[in-house]
Amino acid sequence: MNSMKLKLIYPEEKIKEPILSRMCKTFDIDINIRKANVQENIGWLELELIGKEEEIERAIDWLIKQGIEVSPLEGQVFTE
Amino acid sequence: MAKIKGLACKECGREYPVEPIHVCEFCFGPLEVIYDYEEIKKSISREKIEKGPKSLWRYIDLLPVENPTVGLSAGFTPLIKAENLGKELGLKNLYIKDDSVNHPTLSFKDRVVAVALSKAKEFGFDTAACASTGNLANSVSALAASSGMKCYVFIPANLETNKIIGSLVFDPVVVAVDGNYDDVNRLSSEIANEFGWAFVNINVRPYYSEGSKTLAFEVAEQLGWKSPDAVVAPLASGSLYTKIWKGFNELKEVGLIENNPPRMYGAQALGCSPIYQAFKEGRDWIKPVKPDTIAKSIAIGNPADGPYAVKVAKESNGDMEVASNEEIIEGIKLLAKTEGIFTETAGGTTIAVLKKFAEKGVFNPDEIVVAYITGNGYKTMEVLEGHLKSPIHIKPSLQEFKEKVIGQTVKG
Repeated sequence: MNSMKLKLIYPEEKIKEPILSRMCKTFDIDINIRKANVQENIGWLELELIGKEEEIERAIDWLIKQGIEVSPLEGQVFTE
Repeated sequence: MAKIKGLACKECGREYPVEPIHVCEFCFGPLEVIYDYEEIKKSISREKIEKGPKSLWRYIDLLPVENPTVGLSAGFTPLIKAENLGKELGLKNLYIKDDSVNHPTLSFKDRVVAVALSKAKEFGFDTAACASTGNLANSVSALAASSGMKCYVFIPANLETNKIIGSLVFDPVVVAVDGNYDDVNRLSSEIANEFGWAFVNINVRPYYSEGSKTLAFEVAEQLGWKSPDAVVAPLASGSLYTKIWKGFNELKEVGLIENNPPRMYGAQALGCSPIYQAFKEGRDWIKPVKPDTIAKSIAIGNPADGPYAVKVAKESNGDMEVASNEEIIEGIKLLAKTEGIFTETAGGTTIAVLKKFAEKGVFNPDEIVVAYITGNGYKTMEVLEGHLKSPIHIKPSLQEFKEKVIGQTVKG
């Protein structure tokens, strides 16, 4: 089993959708939410995805396709 | 390692040993180095520092390294009394801390990378890595080369190679990833966690970021061991800004300065200002943005230390401001024509914001104000194309020279 720590940022229009529960039903992964802030116009969560490496990668691709911003916990590490 | 107590989570305070880790296992908060100031106080002194090497390593007692081996010439950059720019802005005691001439790669990154890779070597790493096309990649590549470390630089595949010539020359392995900046970020984070490599701004980040404190230490020493009244610094990830604050506070804590740490003024580009926005809206969390600015070196849309920078601005009675692309260019030109210093867009942002604050009257004219110039304009000259005067064209004739050049440029 692998695990990956991520920060998910929801745009306003996605807040009402049950995205995480759908992700868990679609892919064979567990989630462990450590920190979150969900308000009417933005939501972010810091969580761990636990599962097989390829399943985690598929889940991340799926999240991105749903319009969720998936970043590493470190924030943006790419600096010019 | 008496001077260091360990690492502590900035969120929940949980303590960790000194290891290449950067995230709290419980709350996922970032880890920071904590020191035993009582112990440090016993041996640190102004005299000891003044006798030390002419580099950032003279402050080793307040850095998380025991035996510096990388970047031995980094730091100790000039602090220039900016008489001309000061006159322009109505400030009698304006100073420029000029890291555009930092060694070896002409930006403040040489400080943080020197500390990160020295620590990485102590941990036993033999490979340095980063994801960057700019100042960070330049510095990691150069310092890895000079210290005999292997080096990997990650970039998005669609980037033109000429953007990284300043890194390629040091012969790192450049990995071009099929994907955008976000993909490179994510992959870098995964690699850092899985491979035994020192990813400077990921798994050795707690040590890396400590290097920025030396920007405070040097300024205090160069001012005759005192803190300025106010500083203006650029905000990218928020790390440099918060560490400058930490640096001045540490000097006070160990008794090297007596006056209070400065008011901290932060500068962001209008096209990438998530920290400024959080500060102005009174939020303690950052809403990420998609950067759209010429100030690429500070264009971090999802800044990790943003919330801590907001806190520092409040705690220090400081403020934050933004500069548009035009104002950034004007800032670069203003510093160049008044002080003869050619900075890049981050420095242009800092000068533009310094000017705005000066015009608003937030500084008393007699106060000591320090503006931090963190990078060199010769690296990004293309941003000035179309914004500078053209040469005056003449034939090789004295008469034409007198008419067209002397006639137009010499007054009265």
